[in-house]
Amino acid sequence: MSTWVRTAEPSVDADAPRRLVGAESGADRAFVVSMRAIGTTVLLITGGIGLFLALQAWPTLRHYGLSFFTETQWEPEADVIGIGSVLVGTFSVALVALVVAFPLALLTALYISEYAPARLRGLLVSMVDLMAAVPSIIYGLWGFFVLQPHASAIAHWLHVHLGWIPFFTVEADADAAVWEQSRYTASAFVAGLAVAMMVIPMACAVMRQVFSQAPTGEREAALALGATRWGMIRSVVLPFGRGGIIGGTMLGLGRALGETIAVLLIISPAFDLKIRVLEVGTNTVSALIAGRFGEANGAQLAALLTAGFVLFVITLIINTLAAVVVARSRSGAETDA
Amino acid sequence: MKLRPTRRGRTRAVLAVLLSLAVTVVLARPADAAYAQIEGSGSTWSEVILQQWIADVDANGMKVTYNGGGSSQGRKAFGQNVTDFGITEIPYQGKDEFGNVDSAGSREFAYMPIIAGGTAFTYQLTVGGKLVKNLRLSGETIAKIFTNQITNWNDPAIKKDNNGRVFPSLKITPVLRSDGSGTTAQFTTWLDKQYPAIWRGFFGRSGLTSYFPRKGAAIAAAGSDQVMNTIASASGNGHIGYVEYSYPVNKKYPVVKVLNKAGYYVEPTQYNVAVALTRAKINQDKGSDKYLTQILDGVYSATDPRAYPLSSYSYMLLPTGAKDQRMTTAKRQTLADFMFYSLCEGQSKAGAYGYSPLPLNLVQAGFDQLKKLKTADPKVDIAGRSVTRCNNPTFVAGNLSKNKLAEVAPQPAACDKQGAGPCGGGTGTAPTSTEEASAASGDDKGTASPGTTPAAGTPGAPADAAVPGASGVVDPVTGAPQAATATGGGDVTAVPVELLAGRAGDERVFGALAAVELVALVVVPGMLAALLRKRRRNA
Repeated sequence: MSTWVRTAEPSVDADAPRRLVGAESGADRAFVVSMRAIGTTVLLITGGIGLFLALQAWPTLRHYGLSFFTETQWEPEADVIGIGSVLVGTFSVALVALVVAFPLALLTALYISEYAPARLRGLLVSMVDLMAAVPSIIYGLWGFFVLQPHASAIAHWLHVHLGWIPFFTVEADADAAVWEQSRYTASAFVAGLAVAMMVIPMACAVMRQVFSQAPTGEREAALALGATRWGMIRSVVLPFGRGGIIGGTMLGLGRALGETIAVLLIISPAFDLKIRVLEVGTNTVSALIAGRFGEANGAQLAALLTAGFVLFVITLIINTLAAVVVARSRSGAETDA
Repeated sequence: MKLRPTRRGRTRAVLAVLLSLAVTVVLARPADAAYAQIEGSGSTWSEVILQQWIADVDANGMKVTYNGGGSSQGRKAFGQNVTDFGITEIPYQGKDEFGNVDSAGSREFAYMPIIAGGTAFTYQLTVGGKLVKNLRLSGETIAKIFTNQITNWNDPAIKKDNNGRVFPSLKITPVLRSDGSGTTAQFTTWLDKQYPAIWRGFFGRSGLTSYFPRKGAAIAAAGSDQVMNTIASASGNGHIGYVEYSYPVNKKYPVVKVLNKAGYYVEPTQYNVAVALTRAKINQDKGSDKYLTQILDGVYSATDPRAYPLSSYSYMLLPTGAKDQRMTTAKRQTLADFMFYSLCEGQSKAGAYGYSPLPLNLVQAGFDQLKKLKTADPKVDIAGRSVTRCNNPTFVAGNLSKNKLAEVAPQPAACDKQGAGPCGGGTGTAPTSTEEASAASGDDKGTASPGTTPAAGTPGAPADAAVPGASGVVDPVTGAPQAATATGGGDVTAVPVELLAGRAGDERVFGALAAVELVALVVVPGMLAALLRKRRRNA
């Protein structure tokens, strides 16, 4: 007897998708077509807005060139128009909003998804959603009438104690016997606080959803290995939700950049290139448009639309990045780490 | 199947009822047939009173709609044949400040005065915890405040305007409109005409603007509401801003009494504005592009002791073309009757809303413009709609030569005269404060020495030598010598000299205490809950 050694590779049928046969029913086809149509419409509308703004922006951009982005003054009468200071103001308001909103949103989301008793959870979720439903003019009025008197006191405190950081300086005498309160109002700081209230629900909702999707098996495994609840959150929920945290924050940033009426109500428009967020006077792209739109025509209107186009592009980029990050996180790939 | 006939029958019945109703209405009020709905847009400044008039004439079958979207928008819409009439505070500029075309195009129109009002200066200034309510300023001082030349409330110019009364050393923060506004346009027109050297040096150009340039300590707010709110806010001490008179009145805030050419400090009350506007002239030069617009130089320099210098009125853009594409006989008739009501009875409601009624000269000018509707379309009926049958509060319809305004408009008090007073009463609708009155006059009497002439004194120099030894006092805020402190008995015009709020040691102790309290606030409830739970478990 001779031993027969198998030399050929074992032939195992490679996994190949099975072809599904069978015609789609009429209802299915109608559903697919209509869904596709609706999806295309959304794309068309967004694309149309972008195209309209780009067309309007083109003459302005050609006229002013790169100086449109670097010039700080907005003086149409002198043919000097630029969004340098306005862009800086937009980002400083958004930055303040995020610094305040990020920890609050993260902790709220963690509490709701991990710690809150089940019967409280529904109530808390709807409360946070309610925050998103409040119109932004309400936040603006609240910021102006309720928040500002106290926020200016905090701003003064920050100036006194942390004034050596360029971010927290104000062009006023910090140690004056009677501090000049009006120098600390109508600032990017106060506007940012009001905007933070609008960012929180959005960021919180995204984070909470991702946290709640953390796989139960891994949670139980962590607990079974003796992890405390916080240990489980640190080793399972947070790594799993990293994408959601980043994505939610960036979505919030998109919202903060575009916020208009609350900012317009609070700030005192100023075209100064500055990072002193506590000091009176700043401006954002959307507040600039809202403030000047009513009386603008011709060249100034085109310039405002150009500013709008720049904001549109920035927001689009940020939101797309956020969407990509959120979509990735849902695969759960990060949990292997 | 069964339902149909009944439903149709019901519809028919409803139709019949409606038809008969319509017939009765038409029969009952034959005049209504002559009216058609008219639409307009423009000034937000005039919107409140206009909406009141629209509600009033609605009962007479006149349907008018109005959208306030700003004067510039009103002019644009009218020029593009979008509306039947427009309301604006400033005339077409030919080219606006941004070099864009601002004209009515080929549409024929006339400027017609409709409602007057004063640009008021409201402020928040507290002395000893009390709101000052009787501040007086001359035009020049106002111009210098808004162009950042006067930056402190203890400025000698302000002291002089208030007849020697000294205000605390506090920075002045002018509050401006950040959006384009007719109020800004009216204010800067006045600045440009009356104080060209001050204004043009600041603005860099001549002429008016709808956007006040923000420089220095000034802060800007969007809309008259927010300007008023900023001034009235907790951090508003030392703020001054310009708004329509109705805003401080509604907010119960004081307004500045402005010096007029007769030497009196007056408030922009409805009658003071009306008196000033009797001096308004209308450009009758047909060749000028400002044909039929207001010339307010006479108003600014009116010598009547009651006249408020910053008075002006807003216009209706009246379509006068015979071939106007939007106008019909019915629409012209509606417009004519609506304006007849507005110029006459409508004006009596002006005061209640913070506006001012138009005086005789402007009402007459208004009727001259209304006649152009008749010229454009002979079928328009304007018989009986004239000044002699007009129930305007400033004159007597039957007797135009009788100067009713002179009787109803109160003369300013003697203490409002330059060099006298200041009066103690409040302004706006604020309750009068007698304490301030006595205190102010006390200051005047108490320092009766040659050194106290209000005109004297440069900043820092102890001009008020009436206070012996006062030059040694130094304001810790500014380091300037405190020359002009309170002198007379019972004076509340104190300069707030505040010492440091606390000692360095205190600050550390209180800081630590605050931190401990904050930690306790977070920790204690949780500990308490845990304790209770444990106790319950044990039990």
